[in-house]
Amino acid sequence: MGCSDMPVPSIIINSLTKSYGGLTALDSFSLEVEQGAIFGLLGPNGAGKTTLIRILTTLMRQSAGDASIEGLDILRSGRDIRRMIGVVSQENSLDRYLTARENLELHARLHGMEKQLYKSRIDNLLELMGLAGRQLDFPDTFSGGMQRRLVIARALVHQPQVLFLDEPTTGLDPQSRRAVWEYVRSLAGSMTIFLTTHYLEEAEQLCDRIAIMDHGRLIALGSTQELKERLSGATVYEIEFSGQDIDRYVVLLGSMPCVIDIKQAGSKVTLTLECWECLSEIVTSLNGAPVRRISLLERTLEDVFISLTGEKVRE
Amino acid sequence: MLRGSLAIWQRDMLILRRSIVSELMAVVAYPLTIYLAFGIGMQGYIGLVDGAPYSLFIAPGLITMTAVNAAYNESVWSLWFHRRVQFTIESYRVTPISVSEIVIAKIFTGFTHGIIKGCAVGLVLFAITPFRFPIEHLLQYLLFLIPGSALFSCAGIISGTIMDKPETIGKVEAVLVMPLIFMSGLFFPLSSYPSAVIPWVRALPTTALFEGARRALVAGEMMSMSVLQVSLSALITFVAAVVIFRYKMSE
Repeated sequence: MGCSDMPVPSIIINSLTKSYGGLTALDSFSLEVEQGAIFGLLGPNGAGKTTLIRILTTLMRQSAGDASIEGLDILRSGRDIRRMIGVVSQENSLDRYLTARENLELHARLHGMEKQLYKSRIDNLLELMGLAGRQLDFPDTFSGGMQRRLVIARALVHQPQVLFLDEPTTGLDPQSRRAVWEYVRSLAGSMTIFLTTHYLEEAEQLCDRIAIMDHGRLIALGSTQELKERLSGATVYEIEFSGQDIDRYVVLLGSMPCVIDIKQAGSKVTLTLECWECLSEIVTSLNGAPVRRISLLERTLEDVFISLTGEKVRE
Repeated sequence: MLRGSLAIWQRDMLILRRSIVSELMAVVAYPLTIYLAFGIGMQGYIGLVDGAPYSLFIAPGLITMTAVNAAYNESVWSLWFHRRVQFTIESYRVTPISVSEIVIAKIFTGFTHGIIKGCAVGLVLFAITPFRFPIEHLLQYLLFLIPGSALFSCAGIISGTIMDKPETIGKVEAVLVMPLIFMSGLFFPLSSYPSAVIPWVRALPTTALFEGARRALVAGEMMSMSVLQVSLSALITFVAAVVIFRYKMSE
């Protein structure tokens, strides 16, 4: 592949650091995000995700390092960058004294759009987000999912080249969360999407590439598949028992050296083993046990996260 | 350059239009009560003050107080609410407008509230009380009311920017803003102060505002130095409000 065929980075982050007194929220963080990609930044609460987004969206200045969006430096070209980005922040920043439509109109005016241009654009967005019938209502009367859709619509009014979504589905019920995922998916390819989340499933469902960060540092980067492949030989099996005396087998399995982790939920026991060869040891030790089924579970991002950080995702 | 300011100010005016009746009822009730209680009720006991009936003495001050109070309150609470509760300031900041445009919009909103509410109280006093003034004095009076409202709007912006807790805002209003208004000759002539204190009281922009506004409205007297003092104070507070807001936003 020649140089001209290389994907063009939309976001370039170079050794970005942010300190508050003695606390380092971002620690020499570097990253590149390709144009048109849906990029996920995954990490527990307090990992530094929001700090990174606030710096990239020019709301906050970094302590060291630099970053650019579509070739523009975030410190020198703040206004031009804000012209080309859309931001969905964690907080619900909708204006509760304006109707849904007025919220979008105000945002369009702040972007300097002419009325004849933003009118049809807002009509389309309200239609796309399923809010056309409620455009004259105030956001306080909306469900959490509808408010979130309205915030996303607001971020899209000026047709940004890069969309930042900071934990867009936090606090939403599963149905609303999936609806937001659908809207995000529908935008794929038309703009670069930079999404932060602490929901592993969200990152897995939506993102082309994922970065995992913790304590302000980048600890892994790749596609979902690449990250899963980074797991050592560890494999996860689910054993379903049919009898009553499961606790005895859980203790027995938990004491075996090849078992890294064991969890029990009713008649099902999930085992994380050092390698797939360990399975024969397990089967031997369960000789005579009332086992209904043993199945190999696909590794998830959660396994990757545990393997990289040594802990579960902190909510 | 001020396209963003205009959009935010128009948004604020839309909200004001929607709630104009309740806003004006709330804002007129307080000065009207004071006027009826002191200006009418106590007038017989107080007699003439500076050669004028007491009701005539306090009426211009009540109109001015309403305007500057409304300007201050709108600025301080609106900014605090949009910054700390509704996060709208943050949503403005990710658009291509500058931080200065946001704060200028908010200053103009407070100022507009002050002028509208001050005029409303003036009209009500004019309509339902014996308070009268020569209409040609209105222009001189506005020369005080306009920079006075601007001054208090900017002061409100500074408070709303610095203070993160609503209870602190309430305390500052009780300890600083209201005493500044009440001690500036709103209810009594400055000659009531001990002579050693008078120069200090006169140095306050609020004294220049209330004293100058009363004389302008009642006697048509033009106190140019007082106009200058209030206008200069408003200008300095405006610069301070913009600088402090910009600094806070960069944190």
